[in-house]
Amino acid sequence: MLHRRHLLAGAAGAAALSFPVFAFGQGQATDKRLLVIILRGGLDGLSAMPAIGDPQYAPLRGRLAIERSNALVLDDTFALHPNLQTMHALYRVGELLPVHACATGYRERSHFDAQNVLETGAARPFARTEGWLNKALGALPRSRPEMGMALSAQAPLILRGDTEVSTWSPSTLPDVDTDTMSRLLALYQASDPALAAALNSALSANTVAMDAGISDMNAAGPRNLTPVAQIAARFLKEPNGPIAAVMDASGWDTHANQGLEQGPLARGLAGLDSGLDAFKTEMGPAWVNTAVLIVTEFGRTAAPNGAGGTDHGAGAAAFLAGGGVNGGRILADWPGLSRSALHEGRDLRPTTDLRSVFKGVLADHLRVSSTALDRDAFPDSSEILATRDLFRG
Amino acid sequence: MPDLRLAAIAAHRFGLGPRPGDLRAIAGDPRAWVKAQLGPPAQLPPQIAVLPPAEDDLLAFGRWLTRRRMNNGNGARVEERAERQGITREQLQRLSVEEDFVENFRARATRAVGARVEAAIASERPVHERLVHFWSNHFTVSTAKPVAIALPPSFERDAIRPHVGGRFAEMLLASSKHPGMIVYLDNWLSIGPNSEAAQNPRRGRRSPGGGRPTGLNENLAREILELHTLGVNGGYTQADVQALASIITGWTYARPRLRDLVSDDVANRNGHQLFEFDAAAHEPGPQTLLGRTYAQTGIAQGEAALADLARHPSTARFLATKLCRHYIADEPPSAAVARVERAFMQSDGDLRATMDALVDSPEAWETPLAKFKRPEEYAITLLRAANLRTLPPGAGIAALTAMGQRPYSAPGPDGWSDIAESWLTADLVWKRLEFAQAYAARIARADVNPADLGTACLGPLFSEESRMAVMRAESPAQGLALLFGAPEMQRR
Repeated sequence: MLHRRHLLAGAAGAAALSFPVFAFGQGQATDKRLLVIILRGGLDGLSAMPAIGDPQYAPLRGRLAIERSNALVLDDTFALHPNLQTMHALYRVGELLPVHACATGYRERSHFDAQNVLETGAARPFARTEGWLNKALGALPRSRPEMGMALSAQAPLILRGDTEVSTWSPSTLPDVDTDTMSRLLALYQASDPALAAALNSALSANTVAMDAGISDMNAAGPRNLTPVAQIAARFLKEPNGPIAAVMDASGWDTHANQGLEQGPLARGLAGLDSGLDAFKTEMGPAWVNTAVLIVTEFGRTAAPNGAGGTDHGAGAAAFLAGGGVNGGRILADWPGLSRSALHEGRDLRPTTDLRSVFKGVLADHLRVSSTALDRDAFPDSSEILATRDLFRG
Repeated sequence: MPDLRLAAIAAHRFGLGPRPGDLRAIAGDPRAWVKAQLGPPAQLPPQIAVLPPAEDDLLAFGRWLTRRRMNNGNGARVEERAERQGITREQLQRLSVEEDFVENFRARATRAVGARVEAAIASERPVHERLVHFWSNHFTVSTAKPVAIALPPSFERDAIRPHVGGRFAEMLLASSKHPGMIVYLDNWLSIGPNSEAAQNPRRGRRSPGGGRPTGLNENLAREILELHTLGVNGGYTQADVQALASIITGWTYARPRLRDLVSDDVANRNGHQLFEFDAAAHEPGPQTLLGRTYAQTGIAQGEAALADLARHPSTARFLATKLCRHYIADEPPSAAVARVERAFMQSDGDLRATMDALVDSPEAWETPLAKFKRPEEYAITLLRAANLRTLPPGAGIAALTAMGQRPYSAPGPDGWSDIAESWLTADLVWKRLEFAQAYAARIARADVNPADLGTACLGPLFSEESRMAVMRAESPAQGLALLFGAPEMQRR
């Protein structure tokens, strides 16, 4: 971690103190921003968004059924987990669109393969090596040096590809000495342009991160998304910063004792909710132009297993939040929870293809052309149409 | 005439970076120094030899699986089985304690990663060790897939090491038969649709969740074709994937019995084979793969198919390209690829002859610093440059993880990327410079002259710009940090 006081005292110079101005002059740069939060491990959608009004819900969920009186009610059928208070408030002002019974085209139950499909946008695992968000960003006018930002050391698959993206993550390594970094930058500028570009980009990112004044980055972790979410907002707000950012949150693979209103899953949801709140606050007025997409690789079994947890399933919950989101309603073609309605007799049946939602966000928020969506971002998916009413106006 | 420039290229491009004094020793005949290390290994490095046997990993793995089964709602079944085998409830209960396993796996993994890095730091045959890393990455088995968490180190030791510098066909066979690969790419979950196990499910073995596999799992077959032999453009079809998957149904590993899992009695392990052919799961009948029909029965069918894949022209081209990309350039020169490909074909997949051809290629000695070192290799270079033989505190696994390459944890079956684009990211460059600085601060001493260390490590590859930067440093620690961060330390 680079400390601000070091940086200001150091010789890194003003040039490194913000994202460099970059004008390619091709087309109008969008003022829309997108944050994708990938919940790795498989979020239990029926805990995050319980179908309290479905008559099968309580009997099927048994010990994992959330009482209507404790839930944050959305409509006659659906509610949010009691720890999703920010999301509930956003829903009430029409800025949250919960999506239920959704999935990619993948129906097996491997995290590994399911995340691959979620991020590549392909129909089957390991069919391609590029991510759909990278390809979508590549279809926009290149208005800044790095169109995307990964809040991780290496870009996750969703951001891999030809389009330039930057990376930043909290560090566990000791503080660096800024004087040494600036000497190295000078050396690279004289002899190694590729290293110079990378170090310059890292210095910029670390400056933004430090400027954010996040006091306790050491507290960042799977249960505390706030510090990284705040920094994501800082990057997205920078005049020449990225259009889209991606952050990961792990720890959703709740096979045992996941808990109901308390317990590991409830803590995870609370961390996600406060992370979203912190992100929105940090975005400030730019929130009106911002969309947050919260997705997971698959849902979990509809009924609890014998260990008070849930196993890998199919239909999942996802969330779209943002100042321009056409929310305050549920996006779901609810399949029901009767045994015959369940996928393979065990999982919530997926009825909404996540790719429709992804395409809708890219088309109507970032203004990616439908050709680019069907050809580059989600090849061989032209029969899966973008959901067109995700944003107001 | 001694050639320090070629010596530096040899040490960095083919080895793992020199220790002080190495360059002068290599300079007499750099090519011969490389070539002397290309043959099969005489013995295991001592750091690797002391790791627990694969049988032990499989016991730990079996305990973990059983615990998962018990915690996933299948406890009653496990208890029934235990009762039949005369295992007490108390004995069984020991399997359900999660912390022990987490601790156990963490300790195992830490030890194995440390052994791999220390073997590389201390190696007197760094060229050979690099080849181990290359082939272990070619046949990736990774802890990134939780069920395979216990297995990558023993896979590398038992399936890869013995065949480095030997025949590719044997390495392919050893890989495809090792429990590490069989578990990592799901072949233990694959049964022939017309096999005995499919016709009579009670005869089939259980999968990790407690259910029984119901059909073909194509994962291993697909990756053998796509990643291990022909390459993605190697000219196979989905029908070939299914044929190979059918051919290798029944290739599984010997599961430890419940009695072994709850016991501390090591003798129970005796007689365990790692590989097992489960005839009941094997798809009967001939199969046609790449236009050739394999009529053999049982395991011979798979052995014949793999032998043919190992000598296929697409395999030669794919491996030659990958080797040249690894050693020479991200965009490998086609003349070198052609030469290596020819050597592979003419020697029927002899890996020593194949590497000889690569080392004899002029392109391999022409453009120094074309490749960006991956983080593990970079860390090893720095540790060897300072003449360390063990991992110093703070330069260990946590640092490798932070730099993006914790050994044995490649993200997917295609292994760690071998091109600069993947590693020359802003954050990863930042992390490696953080590592370089922390490490420099730890080892800096008044009597170590950073510029001399640079000359000893880089020879004529040490650029004038870098030397000046190092000499102008305000302290030995900063001088070392600048040396370790210099472009020519990060490239080869």
